[in-house]
Amino acid sequence: MKIDAHCHVARRSGGSSRGWTNADLVEAADKLGIDKLLCSTPVSRGQPTMDVVRECNNITYEAMKEYPDKILGYAFVNPGYFTESIEEIERCVKELGMIGIKLYNQYRADEPVVLPIIRKAAEMQIPVLWHAGHPPSPEEALRWGQPRISDGVHIAALARKVPDAILIHGHIGGGGDWEWGIKALRNVPNVYVDTSGSVVDEGIVEMCVKYLGADRVLFATDLSMEAGVGKILGANLTDEERELIFWKNMDRILRRRKV
Amino acid sequence: MIIDASAYIGHWPFRRLRYNTAEGLITLMDRNGIDKAVVSSINAVFYKNCQEGNEELAEEIEPYRDRLIPFATLNPKYVAWREDLERCVKDLGMKGLRLYPLYHNYGLLERESRELLSEAAKMGLPIEIPVMLVDPRQHHWMDLDRMLPLNQILEAAKQHPENTFIILNTKTVSPIIEGKQPVPKNVYVEMSRLTAVLTKSIQALISRIGVERVVFGTGIPFHYAKPALLKMEILDIEEEAKEAIYWKNMAKLLGLNAD
Repeated sequence: MKIDAHCHVARRSGGSSRGWTNADLVEAADKLGIDKLLCSTPVSRGQPTMDVVRECNNITYEAMKEYPDKILGYAFVNPGYFTESIEEIERCVKELGMIGIKLYNQYRADEPVVLPIIRKAAEMQIPVLWHAGHPPSPEEALRWGQPRISDGVHIAALARKVPDAILIHGHIGGGGDWEWGIKALRNVPNVYVDTSGSVVDEGIVEMCVKYLGADRVLFATDLSMEAGVGKILGANLTDEERELIFWKNMDRILRRRKV
Repeated sequence: MIIDASAYIGHWPFRRLRYNTAEGLITLMDRNGIDKAVVSSINAVFYKNCQEGNEELAEEIEPYRDRLIPFATLNPKYVAWREDLERCVKDLGMKGLRLYPLYHNYGLLERESRELLSEAAKMGLPIEIPVMLVDPRQHHWMDLDRMLPLNQILEAAKQHPENTFIILNTKTVSPIIEGKQPVPKNVYVEMSRLTAVLTKSIQALISRIGVERVVFGTGIPFHYAKPALLKMEILDIEEEAKEAIYWKNMAKLLGLNAD
């Protein structure tokens, strides 16, 4: 059993495609033995309006309907829209059946603007997946076009403010300094890391387990499908740890929902 | 049979590597069913006088000559490289070169490179070029923040048809696949960071340059071996073509028996 805690569907907002279809995604998952794909459709640059946010979530919902046994959805919101974001979360979770919230880089995790959303997520006991990473320098964060990307320190600060929230530091293997991210989260029990991203550095999964414990590590791909599965299979883990990471931890999170 | 075209021994200054000795590499190879590996010295990348790294490498792999195939690291802008090249090949049994133009601050199209490539061609030595050693998005503040552009390797290959170039650790093959000019026949690509599903860059590469010019690699001990092995397992090509990638193509380049 494998649950991919961080994935995306084929379409983006504005009608652009990633060059493959949802059928291709499901076929890839089947080849790699991935049972569930937890997907979102975020906007990766700039401040999307509510219309764009709703369009994104409708794209995710279409994929959920297309593959109801395979694709589950996260609701993407822009925290700058206070009331509308909360309403959109309620629409996505209660009406469309989404299982969590996806936040990107519109605001950093330690900015007060995100608190209403995080408190709402804590109330509903649904996970919040953060696009996260620690760039080598602020200048490089700017060069990436992501001056407000959150890292482990920012997410830890938020987690301490809302200790009953379930937060996920996205793609620890997504390209930033993963040692920074893991160390920052050591003493913050309500934050999980997902192992997605194209980085397959030997030892990355073992360090997650060593610092956070196997029960705070979630298997994910973020569309680096073979890398995602391969690094968990390649890591020096017990069978029990591998099971926790591949699906049991995420399954446990999903069972906490009060919706 | 599996030949890994991309393995390393030595100390990486910016992160603790495990399995970075000859014994460690053999452990990883045994764990992953890899029979032979082309290996070079990481130390040689950072010593001003690379040759000392080559000497260390030769000494360390001596008990494992049947499985570890040494490649020399040389800097054509450093004094006495011709003598080092001769010693590496004649005395230390090195079977090819691994070059680092960015780390050693030269261009492949410069005069010194032309002279080194010419000597390597006379000796029948394949040239491996890692476009990066670690993902630049997570680079240490004293490490490189960029990858070697593939176009520089393609141009060098065009100008030096008598040499064989093997590109290592590249995540993109767009300049190869999308280039309007024919890809030089003397360019090979190692597949560990490419994809077998979704974007299917391995298949696109095969379509463009032929299966006979794609080679298997892992990047151990920087990387887990399993992601690359998984890509090969699920790759939708004939078994015979897989055999070519797993080992036959590289065996031919190394002058080993490929039957």
